[in-house]
Amino acid sequence: MANVNRAATVDPRATGRGSVVAPAHGLTRNVLSSDRPWLWLAPIVALLLFIGIYPLAYNLWNSFREFSPMLGTVEPVGLANWARLLTDVRVREALGTTAVYVSAALLIEFALGLAIAVLFNAGPWASGLWQSLLILPMVVPPTVAAVMFKVLENADYGALAYYLQSWGITDKVEPLLGGTGRYAIPAVLIPDIWQWTPFFVLILLAGLKALPTDPLEASRVDGASAWQTFWHVTLPMLRPMIAIAVLFRLVDLLKVFDYIFVMTSGGPGTRTEVLSFYAYQRSFTTIEWGYGSVLGIVILLLAIVVANVYLRVFKVAW
Amino acid sequence: MRETTDFRDKSAIANALTAYRHGRISRRTMLQTLAAAGVALSATPARPRRAAAQASPTAEVADQPEEIVAWLEDVGRQFEGASIKVVSEETPPSRAIINLKQQYFEELTGITVDWEVVPLAQVLAKVSQDAASQLGANDIYYFDQAWVGRFINDTFDPRELLEQKPDLAMPNYDIDDFLQPLVQHIATYGDKMIGFPCDVPIFMYFYRSDIYDEMGLSPATTMEEYLANAKAINDAMAADGTYGTVGQMQSGHYALNCDMTAWVWSHGGSVFTADGMCSLNDAAAVTGVDYMRELQTYMPAAVTTYDWGGQATAIQQGQGGQVITWGEDFPGWDDPASSTVSGLMEPVALPANAAQRPAEEAGFEEVPDLGHQGGSTYCLSRYSKNADPAWVFLQWATSSNTQTLASIIGGGASPMRQSTFDDPRVQANAQVGIAGTTRHFPAMYDVIMNRMGTEPHLPQWPLIATDIIAVELGKLTTGGYGSTQEGMDTIKRLVDEAAAR
Repeated sequence: MANVNRAATVDPRATGRGSVVAPAHGLTRNVLSSDRPWLWLAPIVALLLFIGIYPLAYNLWNSFREFSPMLGTVEPVGLANWARLLTDVRVREALGTTAVYVSAALLIEFALGLAIAVLFNAGPWASGLWQSLLILPMVVPPTVAAVMFKVLENADYGALAYYLQSWGITDKVEPLLGGTGRYAIPAVLIPDIWQWTPFFVLILLAGLKALPTDPLEASRVDGASAWQTFWHVTLPMLRPMIAIAVLFRLVDLLKVFDYIFVMTSGGPGTRTEVLSFYAYQRSFTTIEWGYGSVLGIVILLLAIVVANVYLRVFKVAW
Repeated sequence: MRETTDFRDKSAIANALTAYRHGRISRRTMLQTLAAAGVALSATPARPRRAAAQASPTAEVADQPEEIVAWLEDVGRQFEGASIKVVSEETPPSRAIINLKQQYFEELTGITVDWEVVPLAQVLAKVSQDAASQLGANDIYYFDQAWVGRFINDTFDPRELLEQKPDLAMPNYDIDDFLQPLVQHIATYGDKMIGFPCDVPIFMYFYRSDIYDEMGLSPATTMEEYLANAKAINDAMAADGTYGTVGQMQSGHYALNCDMTAWVWSHGGSVFTADGMCSLNDAAAVTGVDYMRELQTYMPAAVTTYDWGGQATAIQQGQGGQVITWGEDFPGWDDPASSTVSGLMEPVALPANAAQRPAEEAGFEEVPDLGHQGGSTYCLSRYSKNADPAWVFLQWATSSNTQTLASIIGGGASPMRQSTFDDPRVQANAQVGIAGTTRHFPAMYDVIMNRMGTEPHLPQWPLIATDIIAVELGKLTTGGYGSTQEGMDTIKRLVDEAAAR
């Protein structure tokens, strides 16, 4: 109570500045009292509940119901949708594909991002310009990037496909995109890597620039090589920034959808069908809203579990 | 055809448009001719009301008969201020009606039409949600023919509305003018009509005349000849980027199911037999799928990523020597502004089926034949809160005159009505190498009347077609199964399980 009341009763003549602040009435004093924060926090809490908790609760409720095409109505089905989760082969396949996609994307984007950040930190020619250009891929909507790469990877007229064929990596019968789908996962990974490696670059570069110079100089004085300095001094000091960047991308990658939707529709067969795409298919193509809700909740739980495991395994401290 | 004054006036309009397009007359002369023809039209049965009110009517207004203008202003105006919602896929006729509605409907009635265009899968999701909640979020639905069984109870039968609401009936709205096969197989389930046919993409046979001429090939009359032509073209030209044919074989996409059914039907198979069991693993169906897989070897490798849009683009880029696919893509191929094969693709009669299962032996109203149709309907929602103004709009949108304008303006949108096929304005557009050509309409008419294939219409069909058949076929066509029989056995098992739910 004290802060509000004190502010309200300050005598401007005594402070010599500001206008006269009218003393708060008793009712206002009670309402705005910091002893009762719930009252003035209520609107924002209600808003958060509405936009954050309500959809989640609705989704959970929906997971116990299912649309019946025969009746044209949504009917309660108990735990049937959750039981189906345990026997659905495509869920297991989608989990496997998601794991492959997330691991590959994370590893490559991190490695490339770190390398480029270290390079930029050394201050090469026009590094400011390159940093600005690096932001461009991130502002392209993912669907647009996917369409762009679908053209670039087209076996007959795509520039990327042309070079890969020229170098003997792929051929016209088994191109990057199409054919039997041998390269389907790399094909959808390429736009992801193109678009999100700069995210790692920016975060890690900011981290590198903020590092204290004393430990680096001390290691050099002690005779450490550049690699030893990087491995034993720079990288450990950079760990909090790496943790943030990896965590953000990890959670984001678990929801990957756009590239798959545009470029392969989960195919050929189910080769690129990740969990989020499978959930979309169930919800909006086959109109199984209940089962789609179950899959949505599974993705959420997966993100929470994976993020917490990551934090514990890598002993991330903020 | 008996030549009437109406016919002569419409011919004059068509001739003027043609002359203007070829630069033989000025824009001013064309408009004068159109105005004169419009006045002449109005002097007989249909005088444009706006033409009478304005000194110099435009060509567009002259195209709306007076009795329709009067009906819209008298009957439609009762609902001034009403707002109706339509949800549909992006199709040539939908796009054409969206372009027409403001001038030809909204200004005359004061009714606002909020038309939402989304991909087909999202149309299904929105309509399903609307039907399940019964909230009437949309007044007019666009239904793919594959969904009629699912939504049979969610729309009004338009025949009943025409009888029950005579005060709202459009004058001379001729329901019998719709081509009967379209009414029967696109807009009817059991004995109930769910809406008016509005679009019919249908499989037709197109070939590259320059390639056929160069190689001495003739249009195929049998399935074997079609395959042989594809092989010959592929052998000669694939290295240069022109393949024997193309397809729409994207895994998990409904388009792949459409291709497969055409090849199965043309080899004596069907999706279901009369007892309601899936028959996609019988000998005839497997032969059809093997045929598709052999054709695939004469296609670009990227074909496993093509849906119907990808396939149409591939033809436009000159990647295919021949194709059996949606007739609605043809005007785009003939458009010199966007196509490398303008004037080179020719429509021709479909080859004869190698074998054909009678419709009585197939299940769920399935009709096996090579001319796979993907038609759609505009339907009035039973849950609409603006049913009367929506009904006025629905009649206007599917009337003979509007459908004809859609066929011209919509870049050759497939006609639904006999009067559209016969209209001189439509026939005047039957020219080689122009945007919006209608020169494929005679071949299309032949397929609709004589060779149309229709998918089964059980309520679970959207799930079966997309999620089971298209996904498993996607595996099969990319080497995911040891043999065609193995893949089709799996599909049969999954389809029967889904159909039993």
